[in-house]
Amino acid sequence: MMGRTIVIDPGRCIGCQACVSACRECDSHRGKSMIHLDYLDQGGSVASSPTVCMHCEDPVAPCAQVCPAEAILVTPDGVVHDADKSRCIGCGNCVNACPMGVPKIDLAAKLQFKCNLCYDRTSYGLAPMCATVCPTGSIFYGTLEELRTERPGVEVASTFDFDGSIISTGVAMVVPRGRPVDEPLPGGAGEHAHVTGSPQPAGHLEPSADNVLGEPL
Amino acid sequence: MTVPLDPTITPPGTGRFRDAGGLPADRWRAIRGEETLVATHCCFCGVQCGMYLRVHDGKVFGVEPRDHDINRMRLCPKGLNAYQQVNHPDRLTSPLLRKSRADDLRPVSWEQALDVTAEQIQRIQAEHGRDAFGMLGGASLFTEKTYLVGKFARVALRTRHVDYNGRLCMVSAAGANKLSFGIDRAANPFADCLLSDCLLIAGSNVGECFPVMTQYLWGARDRGAKLIVIDPRETSIARTADIHVALRPGTDAAFFNAVLHVVVSEGLTDEAFLAEHTTGWDEVRAAAAECPPELAAEICGIPAEQVTQVARMFATAPKAMAWHARGIEHHTQGVENCLTVINLCVATGNLGKPGAGYGTITGQGNGQGGREHGQKSDMLPGGRSISDPVHRMQVADIWGVDVDDLPQAGTSMMEMVHQMSRGEIRGLFGLCNNPFVSLPNYTVVKAGYDALEFHAQCDFFLSETAANAHLVLPVTSWAEDDGVMANAEARVVRHRKAQEPLPGVRTDTWVLCELAERLGVGDKFDYADSEQVFEELRIASRGTVNDYYGITYARLDETGGIAWPCPDLNHPGTPRLFEGGRTYHADGKVHLQAVRWHPPADPYDDEFPITLTTGRTVAHFLSGNQTRRLGGLVEQTPRPWVEVHPSHGFGNGDAVTVVTRRGAATFPALVTEAIRPDTVFVPYHWPYPVAANELTIDALDPRSKIPEYKVCACRIEPAAAVTPVPAPPMPPGREPYADTQRSRGEPLPPTSSQGRGTSQP
Amino acid sequence: MRPVVVGIVTALVLCAVIYLGSRRLHDFDSALAPYAIASVFLAFGIAYRYTVWISSPGARRLFRKGWGAALSWQNLRRTPTALPRMIATYLGFQKFLGARSRSRWAAHQLIFWGCLLAAAITFPLTWGWFTFTANTGAGPQYTMNIWGFGVADFNALSVLGWLLFHGLDLAAVLVIAGATYFLIRRMRDREASTGQRFGYDLVPLLALIIISVTGLLLTFSSVALHGGGYEFLAVLHMAAVVLTLLYLPFGKFFHIAQRPAAVGMQLFKYTGHGEIRHCRNCGEPIDTTAYVDNLRATMRDLKLDFDAVAEVCPRCKRLRRGQAYRTTVKPGF
Repeated sequence: MMGRTIVIDPGRCIGCQACVSACRECDSHRGKSMIHLDYLDQGGSVASSPTVCMHCEDPVAPCAQVCPAEAILVTPDGVVHDADKSRCIGCGNCVNACPMGVPKIDLAAKLQFKCNLCYDRTSYGLAPMCATVCPTGSIFYGTLEELRTERPGVEVASTFDFDGSIISTGVAMVVPRGRPVDEPLPGGAGEHAHVTGSPQPAGHLEPSADNVLGEPL
Repeated sequence: MTVPLDPTITPPGTGRFRDAGGLPADRWRAIRGEETLVATHCCFCGVQCGMYLRVHDGKVFGVEPRDHDINRMRLCPKGLNAYQQVNHPDRLTSPLLRKSRADDLRPVSWEQALDVTAEQIQRIQAEHGRDAFGMLGGASLFTEKTYLVGKFARVALRTRHVDYNGRLCMVSAAGANKLSFGIDRAANPFADCLLSDCLLIAGSNVGECFPVMTQYLWGARDRGAKLIVIDPRETSIARTADIHVALRPGTDAAFFNAVLHVVVSEGLTDEAFLAEHTTGWDEVRAAAAECPPELAAEICGIPAEQVTQVARMFATAPKAMAWHARGIEHHTQGVENCLTVINLCVATGNLGKPGAGYGTITGQGNGQGGREHGQKSDMLPGGRSISDPVHRMQVADIWGVDVDDLPQAGTSMMEMVHQMSRGEIRGLFGLCNNPFVSLPNYTVVKAGYDALEFHAQCDFFLSETAANAHLVLPVTSWAEDDGVMANAEARVVRHRKAQEPLPGVRTDTWVLCELAERLGVGDKFDYADSEQVFEELRIASRGTVNDYYGITYARLDETGGIAWPCPDLNHPGTPRLFEGGRTYHADGKVHLQAVRWHPPADPYDDEFPITLTTGRTVAHFLSGNQTRRLGGLVEQTPRPWVEVHPSHGFGNGDAVTVVTRRGAATFPALVTEAIRPDTVFVPYHWPYPVAANELTIDALDPRSKIPEYKVCACRIEPAAAVTPVPAPPMPPGREPYADTQRSRGEPLPPTSSQGRGTSQP
Repeated sequence: MRPVVVGIVTALVLCAVIYLGSRRLHDFDSALAPYAIASVFLAFGIAYRYTVWISSPGARRLFRKGWGAALSWQNLRRTPTALPRMIATYLGFQKFLGARSRSRWAAHQLIFWGCLLAAAITFPLTWGWFTFTANTGAGPQYTMNIWGFGVADFNALSVLGWLLFHGLDLAAVLVIAGATYFLIRRMRDREASTGQRFGYDLVPLLALIIISVTGLLLTFSSVALHGGGYEFLAVLHMAAVVLTLLYLPFGKFFHIAQRPAAVGMQLFKYTGHGEIRHCRNCGEPIDTTAYVDNLRATMRDLKLDFDAVAEVCPRCKRLRRGQAYRTTVKPGF
C-alpha cells in the first residue's frame, strides 16, 4: 500500500452516497462521479460498500497494461490516473480487465474515466473529496499511523486473491483484528470464485440520456 | 445474429453509469484562484455541519468541506448538493398573485403584493376578529426570523394563531425536556458520544437523517462503546449494532418501561443519584413495575431477553448516553415516550457527565433555535410562556406594547388546519413550511387551506403549498442572508451571507418589516439586517433559561459557535447541562414522570392489520421542496417506495397500494428483510398523489400536539401500476429545470432505502 | 532493433518518393530542404514509435484485428459505408469530442483543420511535388502542378488565387485560435491542469503557436515591411517546424497516429462473428465475444492470469467482492 492512501471499511459504510456527490465536486472530475457505491445485499439488508480505484501495485495497474493506447499513466507515487483524453480510444479494455470493476466509460465521448485519487487535491497534500466528506470514515485517507490514532488497533490488508493470482494494491481495506494481514482478501470474481450469501438480484439498467449509446462513431 | 456497428453494448456499471443530471449551476467551474470561500453551515438538518460555499463573481457555485468541530469536514449528500439551490433556475424571482384559486398566479410588483397582503389582513381581521388571521412559520428559518415571526404575529397581527412546522418535529422532546428538566435542549454535546461506553439510539435513523452524526457513533465504537438501536427497521446503524431492537412501531413506552423494570429488579439503579437529584421516582418505579419484560415482549413483538440485554448493557456501562429522534416522538404518546428514555437515563445516573447523558436530535436545521424565541403558539421569546403573567409583562416591556394587547396562547399547526376548515381562521401567512407534504392526512389539510379566503406563502421555490396560495412571495435562500441557527446540541452557529439575493428576491425580514409598516407598527419592526434583530433577541432572551445575551455575531465569528445558556459576554456557553445533577427547575431536581403505555390512536382490525410507519431517506429533506429539484439527489432517490417484508409475497418493484382509513397511495415495493413483517415503511418527501401523508393519521399527542406520523393501521394490496411522481410545481409558463428531473419517471424502487446504487437499478 | 529497421525503411521509402515525385529533384526547392529532411526524420520517428507502440500486447492484438476488420472483404460487402462514415464523423469531424465539451470540440476542430491544411500544402511543396509556374513573366495567371503535371490554371488576384497563396496564413489563424483556447484552459482550468506536464501538455501547444505566429509574421514582413526581418523570421519558423516535427512522434502529437486505432477497434468489435458475451453472474451483456476473447488473450500475454474476470461485468465484480468481504472477512462494524 502507498504511504498516504485510502483505507476502505465497508463495515462502517451507511450507504449515504455522500462520496458520490462529493466526487462530482472535485475540480478534476467536473460533475462526473468516479466512485461507485453498491448496495451489496439487496433484499437482505442495507449493507453497502464504496469502490474507489485500488491503485494496483503488483501487478502494476492491469488497466494500464492492457490499454492499447498507452492512455493510462501511473505516476511514481503509485497513483493510477484516469485516461489521457487525447489518447483514450474508448475500447473498454481497462473496464473489463480491472478485477475490481472500477473504470467507467463514456462511449459517446470515447473516453474512460476512473478515480484518480483526486489528484488535484492529493498532489497538494489535501485528502480526496470522498474521504474528506465520508461521514463514517468508511473511506479514510492518510497513513496507517494516522488511521491507528483514530481507530486504535485497527488492521488493514491490501492483497486480493483472484483465481490464485495475488494482486497487491495501493489502497487498503480494514480487516478484523486477529486475521493475518498478509492473508489475501477474496477477490470475488473469477473462474473459481465461490461467493457465500445470497445471489445478487441483478437488474437491467437502461442506457441513460447523458450517455447516448446508440450514437455511431 | 449480427451486432450492429453502433456501439450499443456496454457492461452495467461502466457505460451505463448514472450521473448527476444537469446541474442548476449550469456548468462546472474549475477556474484557478478566482473564488472566495464563505464559511457557513449547511441549511439542512440539526447537525449543522460547517461548510464553505465557493463564490465567484458574486455567485455561489460550489462547496468545499470545512474543518468545523461539529462535522470535521464531513458532509452528507444533501449538504454537498445544497449550494445548487442558490442559483437554481427554478427559483422564484417575482411575487405571484391571483384573485381566486381558479385563476393562474401572475407576477406582480412587490409594492402591489405587500399592499394586497396588508389589505387582506385588515379586511379579514376587521370582519372576523383579529384571531381570524393566522401565521405559520418554520424551523429552517434563522433564529432571528423565527423571533420576528413570533413578534409579527403578536405585535403586528395581534393574533393568537401563530405556530410553526417544528410542531411536526421537535415538540414532543421539548415537552418532555421541559417537564423533566425545566429546560428544552439536548443535555450533552455530540462530542460526549466519544467518551461514552454505551450509546442507545431510539427511533433515529442516524445514518440517513443525520449522516454526519454517525462519525460520533462510530468514534465511540472505535473506543469500545456498545451501540443499542431501537428501530422497527434494520437501518444502516442498526445493521451492525450490538443490539438491534426491532420493536413494533408505537410501543416504545412499553419497551422502555420494561427496560427500567429490569434495571430496578436487578438493582442496577443509581440510588444515590435518584435520592439526591430527583422527584417522582416512586411513581416511576411503580409504573415500571407494571411492565415486566414478558409483557413488553408481547406488546413490542420482540424477544423478552432483548429487554434484559438492553437493560444490562445500558445500566452496567460506566457512562451511557441515550439519543432519540422522531421515531419515538411522532406519537400520540410522544412526550411520554421521551419521558421513558429520560427516566432510564436518570435512574441509571447517566446525566450531566462527560460521556453520560441524554439528547434529542433535532430534525430541522434550526429545530432547536426555531422553537426557543416565540413562534410556538404558546411561547414568547426566551422560552417564556405566553400564559405566564410575569413573562407577558417582561416581553410587553421589551417590545414596547401594552401587555393587554398581547394575544393569549393559540393552537397548534394541525389544529389550525381544522380551524381553517371551520372558518375560524380565514386568512393565513405562511413562511418556510410546506404543509401539503408535511402535515398528516393530506385530504384534511388540502380542505383546510382551500377554505382560506386569503393565503400568502413565502418560499424560494414554488412549494406544493405555495402553488395553492393566493399570493406567493419570493424570499431568500439560506446563502443570501446572515443569521444564526442552533443545532441539536443547542450550539448557536453563524450562517453567513454568501451572495446578494437574486434580482426580485427579498429577505423574510424585509417582508415582515414592510408588512408591519403597512399595518401601522413600522416603528416596532425597524431592522436593517439580521444582526439588528439578533441584538434585540439577545435582550429579549436575557435572564431566561434560553439566555442568548452573551452571544454576539462577533463572538460567533471568533468561535465555532456557542451553546446557550450564555448569560454574559464573557461566558463560554454551556455545552453540557446538568453537571452536578442540577436541572433548571426551581428546586434543581429532575422531575421524573411516570408513564404507562397505551396503544396508538389508529386501531388495528381485520381490514387494517398492518402498521404503516413513515420517515426520511438520506437524499431528501422534509417536504422535498428543496431537494426534489437538485439533480444529484433526484438521481440518487428519484421516487418514493413502500418497504415490505418478503413474507407478503410481493416481488421487488411490484406496484403495491397502501390503504389506510384516510386514503390510499400506490408505490413500487422495495422488498427487504430489513423491516418487520408486520410493518411497512413509506418515505414522506413526495407530494400527492405519492405522498405518505395521504395515509397518515392526524391524531395528536395531547400535550405536544405532535401528529402520530410513525404509526397508523393499514393494509397492502397489489396494484396495476405505480403512480408516477408529479413534477415539482412551477409558476404558470415555466417548467422545472428538465435535466434535474430526468429520473423522476423511474418506476422502480431504489436498490436500498438510501437510494439507488450508482450502477444498480 | 525491429523498430529501427522499420523506421529506416520508412524513411528510405519517403526519400524515394520525394526523389520521384520531384521529378528526380528537378522541382525540388533547395531553400526548403531543411523541411524535407525533417520530414524524413519524422517518417523515421513515426514508424519507429508506431512499431514500438504496437509491440505491446494490447496494441499488437488491436492492430492486427483492427486492420483485419478494416481490410476485410466480408465487412466491406456487409457494411460498405462503415469505414468511410467513421473516417468522416470520427476522424474528421470528431463527434466524440463534442460529447466531451462543445468548446473543446470547436477549438480542436480549428487546430485539426488548420494543421491538415498546413500539412497538405507544406509537405508537397517541400518535397517538390507541388509547384506553381507563371504562365507569363510575372503573373497574374499561374498554373498549379502536381508531380510536374499541370492540374489547374488560376488568376493569383482572384479569390481562389488569394486563398491558394495564403492557405498557410489561414491555417495559422485557425491553429492560433484553437491552440490559444487550449493554452488558456491549461493555465486556468483545474481539471486540465491536474497532473499536467510541461513537456507533454504545454510544449505541443506552444510549438503550434510559435510556428503559426512566425509563419504569419513572414507574410506580414513581405507585405508590410518589404521583407524586413524576413531572413531571421524564416530561420526561426524553420527551426520551430523542424523541432516540432522531430518531437511529434514522442509526445502528445503521437495521438494523431494512434487515433485511427479507434476506428479499427470499432470495426473489429462490432463486425466480428456477432456474438455477445454475457456476464457470468448476472447475464447482462458485456461486449462482443470476439472482443472479450481478444482481451483475455491480451491479459494472458501480459501474465495477468486472472483473465477470467473479464467475463464478469464490473458491477458484479464489485458486488461479489463486497459480498465476499461482508460474509467471510468482516460481517459487522
